Amino acid sequence: MMSSYNMVKQEFIKKWITTLHILDCSVEHPLNVTERKNAIKLSSDIAMAAARSSSTVWSRALISRSGNKTANKPMARRVLKKARNRMKNRCLTLRRNGNFTAKSGVRRRTELLKRLVPGGELIENKDYLIRETLDYIVYLRAQVDVMRTVAAVDSVTGNLTNDNN
Amino acid sequence: MDLTGGFGARSGGVGGGPYREPIGLESLHLGDEFRQLATTTSLTPDNAGGSFTALLELPPTQAVELLHFTDSLSSSQAAAAATTGIGGGDIIIAPPPPPLHSFGGTTLTFPSNSALMERAARFSVIATEQQQNNGNYHNNETPTSSVPSNSSDRVKTEPPETDSAMENQSLCPNQTNRSGKRKDFDKKVKSSTKKNKSSEETEKLPYVHVRARRGQATDSHSLAERARREKINARMKLLQELVPGCDKIQGTALVLDEIINHVQSLQRQVEMLSMRLAAVNPRVDFNLDTILASENASLMDGSFSGTAMQLAWPHQALETEQSFHQRQLQPPPPPPQQWPFDGLNQPVWGREEDQAHGNDHSNLMAVSENVMVGSANLHPNQVKMEL
Repeated sequence: MMSSYNMVKQEFIKKWITTLHILDCSVEHPLNVTERKNAIKLSSDIAMAAARSSSTVWSRALISRSGNKTANKPMARRVLKKARNRMKNRCLTLRRNGNFTAKSGVRRRTELLKRLVPGGELIENKDYLIRETLDYIVYLRAQVDVMRTVAAVDSVTGNLTNDNN
Repeated sequence: MDLTGGFGARSGGVGGGPYREPIGLESLHLGDEFRQLATTTSLTPDNAGGSFTALLELPPTQAVELLHFTDSLSSSQAAAAATTGIGGGDIIIAPPPPPLHSFGGTTLTFPSNSALMERAARFSVIATEQQQNNGNYHNNETPTSSVPSNSSDRVKTEPPETDSAMENQSLCPNQTNRSGKRKDFDKKVKSSTKKNKSSEETEKLPYVHVRARRGQATDSHSLAERARREKINARMKLLQELVPGCDKIQGTALVLDEIINHVQSLQRQVEMLSMRLAAVNPRVDFNLDTILASENASLMDGSFSGTAMQLAWPHQALETEQSFHQRQLQPPPPPPQQWPFDGLNQPVWGREEDQAHGNDHSNLMAVSENVMVGSANLHPNQVKMEL
């Protein structure tokens, strides 16, 4: 029986492999380092959100945000229509309340946290925000752990794509 | 490129290299240790009723109170929460962790982290399970909203075993002296549950006499408000545990500070790591080779290598795809074992074959849609990803 955190990491790994491969196939080489970094980060974020499934706000927001990064906006819009509809309703609620500059410390920090967590601005309820943050932190940490492991392996074994055949 | 040259040179020293590998991959070895842990502590699915108590790691009575507390509150705040399904009566986030009295001082750093990640990950796992129809997660800890059976004795054995089954998770630098803080938490939890009782009574029954505490109003609004604040504080405490270095801080604002710092640092780490990975590898889909080659070699763990085997199949297929990116195709063999990713897997490989010469590209967003919405049909669309 696998621990849940390990399962989180494995889900992430599976999704990441797929997204990396897809991204690699659909982009023309050669890419410079920055483009590669963006590709890796994009695929990693999408994999993290996909591993979580659509039941959290942050995962949907992350995918929607990543959708904007790919060029094909109508496609992304169509694909994410379902998720975005849900988020639109929350956007309206937010706008109705207007923007206040946060004065007290907690208020200000809550605003900051909302900006950090993807989709956080759409969350009205502070309790819900904290719940989302907790979930997000778990997956973020899984992402970091996996990436760190892979990077460690990479630095040890060097560039394997040529050697491994 | 200079960087790749540098890394290539470093790979020459492979003699000393492999020693680093196990360390890096040890963190993924967790599966083995945790499996043993699970069997010894008997937190098995048939103890599912108790798994919830295991999550809370509180005595059953307190767990029940908190259960009702969160239940009633979440039903009253159904508007935002219900749509996502998280708040719909599901107890996702547990109040503070148990007093880990048995721990020593310094060994607390990593054990507590893995126990925490365990607990926190279980919340998301259970939350996912409740909404998913397809069981992606084999670990079927069925979430219960019924009265959990008492497994507090067994639960207490879990942390010590976590301690013994320790792995270096290479994260969480600042976790020290948690045992003292946990004892405080225990007391705080007990006091907060007493408050919860009174507030929960008012919420469940329409008309009830509640004896007010000193200096607190009995107004239903303020009671609800107080209940809500307590719920938030309970969650904050859990977050405090999750974020390293948060234990000693009093006050919501500072805890939020720490949480914000933690999230920012994690995001920055992702940036740095992706930069590092990009610098090392000329291709984007590098890690297929690295992870699978090393993990298949070094991990003899049953369940994990099972997964690795499943991953190895697409690895072979993908490798052929890579090398055949400019050359001919090979149809990938059917997956030897059932992979939860199956519905997504087949269409992707199929389309990859047809379009190997780069004319049509699969859609990354379609992957996400497929994964998230759950439909098995990917529409082959031509998408050029610009970065």
